[in-house]
Amino acid sequence: MLRALLRRALAALATLVGVLVVVFALLSAAPGDPAALALRDGARARPASPEAVAAFRAAYGLDRPAAVRLVSWVGRAARLDFGRSFRDGRPVAARIAETVPITLALNLAALLLALAAGVPLAAAAARRPGGAADRLSGLVADLFFSAPAFVTGTALLLVFGVRLGWTPVLAEPEEGLRGVALPIVTLGLAALAPVTRVVRACLLEALASPAALAAKARGEGEAAAVLRALRRSAVPLLALGASLVPQLVAGSVLVERLFAVPGTGQLLADSVFARDVPSVLGLTVVAGAAVVVASAVADGLSAVLDPRLAEGEREPGEAS
Amino acid sequence: MRTTPRTRAAPAAALLLLFPLVALLAPLLAHGPSGGPGGLRAPIPWDPGEPDLDARLRPPGADHWLGTDDLGRDVLARLVHGARVSTGVGLLAAALSIAVGALAGALAGVAGGATDRGVLFLVEVVQAFPPLVLVAAGAAFFPPAAATIAVLVAATSWPDSARLVRAQARRLVRAPFVDAARAGGASATRILFRHVLPGALAPALATAPYVLGAAVLTEAGLSFLGLGTPPPAPSWGRALADARESLGSAWWCAAAPAAALFLFVLSARRLGDALSGRGRG
Repeated sequence: MLRALLRRALAALATLVGVLVVVFALLSAAPGDPAALALRDGARARPASPEAVAAFRAAYGLDRPAAVRLVSWVGRAARLDFGRSFRDGRPVAARIAETVPITLALNLAALLLALAAGVPLAAAAARRPGGAADRLSGLVADLFFSAPAFVTGTALLLVFGVRLGWTPVLAEPEEGLRGVALPIVTLGLAALAPVTRVVRACLLEALASPAALAAKARGEGEAAAVLRALRRSAVPLLALGASLVPQLVAGSVLVERLFAVPGTGQLLADSVFARDVPSVLGLTVVAGAAVVVASAVADGLSAVLDPRLAEGEREPGEAS
Repeated sequence: MRTTPRTRAAPAAALLLLFPLVALLAPLLAHGPSGGPGGLRAPIPWDPGEPDLDARLRPPGADHWLGTDDLGRDVLARLVHGARVSTGVGLLAAALSIAVGALAGALAGVAGGATDRGVLFLVEVVQAFPPLVLVAAGAAFFPPAAATIAVLVAATSWPDSARLVRAQARRLVRAPFVDAARAGGASATRILFRHVLPGALAPALATAPYVLGAAVLTEAGLSFLGLGTPPPAPSWGRALADARESLGSAWWCAAAPAAALFLFVLSARRLGDALSGRGRG
């Protein structure tokens, strides 16, 4: 067991290094000089002088060979040192750290919302396939798998922010829950579709198992049966949790922009606009690391819950 | 009501085909009085890029069927021309993604050993990135042309087809007919392309509509962030972002591209469900 967990952790570490190399390759493969790009102010759109570019390159270490920069980049990134922002010269890690709590809180609230709505809906759908609740769960899947977060968010904004005036049109955390309700609901609805679909499939399978039949024969009530089925589905549900992370991260970028939430997603969009190379690279690494860590933790917990997984060959992060 | 995959595939496929069709015919469907091929009068007699400051934010009506945007441009004309960006990027990205994924997957499945482990590692690394994040990061470094975006989207989405094709190729490579080919002196390349790849491709091709839908969504998201194909090319994602400012007075500017995007992705997903034999839910 311990060896399997260790092996999974090592694999995650290797993936993280791979993530760093990919991000570096992205930078190196790009045409044009990042220094020249960074120095060309968007407003003036005038190329910087060669001296300024050379000074900039020296200041940010861009004048060294690519291999040297790769090794030093991986080494520094491992210590969460992504250099200084081209924008304001502050450390990239500090800029990211400022925004992470906001995005984390937003996503956690959205996830709780999706679970609170999705699990009962899926339970009702699984109890009577083809019934009213099942058709509603199908509608939810159709609607929110196909509508991207910024479409759902715009619709919510139009109805609740503009027409009804219940919420501010931009996120205002000072106003409490009312101020951040729309971004949370938008992200929550995006997560609702996969939550409902996976939980429904898990429950259907668990409720049809011989163990469920035996429990029913012993006189187990319906609520207890659903609870037991949920517990039996712990492993695929963990995988679902891990697979939601990339979706939530991507959704945050769009939703934070739509509602002007000063979170990590907004920082990424701003940094791409400003051609702030160190910030873009740092944020990309953080997003990749979040996915890798979530997937490894889900796999580790799954192995603890179901020791058979530790022995068998199972591809990490794979939804059942 | 009883539905079979086939009965559900037909309406989805018909709706999905509408989008490339509109994209192809956009120059005929919508152009101003002067422009337009062949001097034909267009059913939508408005130029998608021509601002008309006297006709700003007009509601849907007889002149402008879907109203006008904040610069007085016809929303329907921009919708029709915007289909070119969405379908173009989506189709190119899906084709590239499946081609690269199938090749990598078949190679891993046939070669096994270190090649297999290498491809799986690469799959794992690429899947660590949320697609929109990697594509947005790429947009910071590469010029924002439609082809660049398609390549970036494909670069993030090929692992899914690689996994599918690899699993199938691993089964096929042990089949008697592959043994026979090998005994007959076929080279490794020939076995890969001639004997394994054609048979291993089916599961990846069945997911092509999903890949298309995801690519369209990523492109729209990128445009929504303002990082997509640069103006004046009309794009649905950018139209939605622009519509935010006038949402209170002109809901139609947001509703039109939102509905188009939704129907495009919904029909792609439905077709994917039908092709891969997956029920709904």
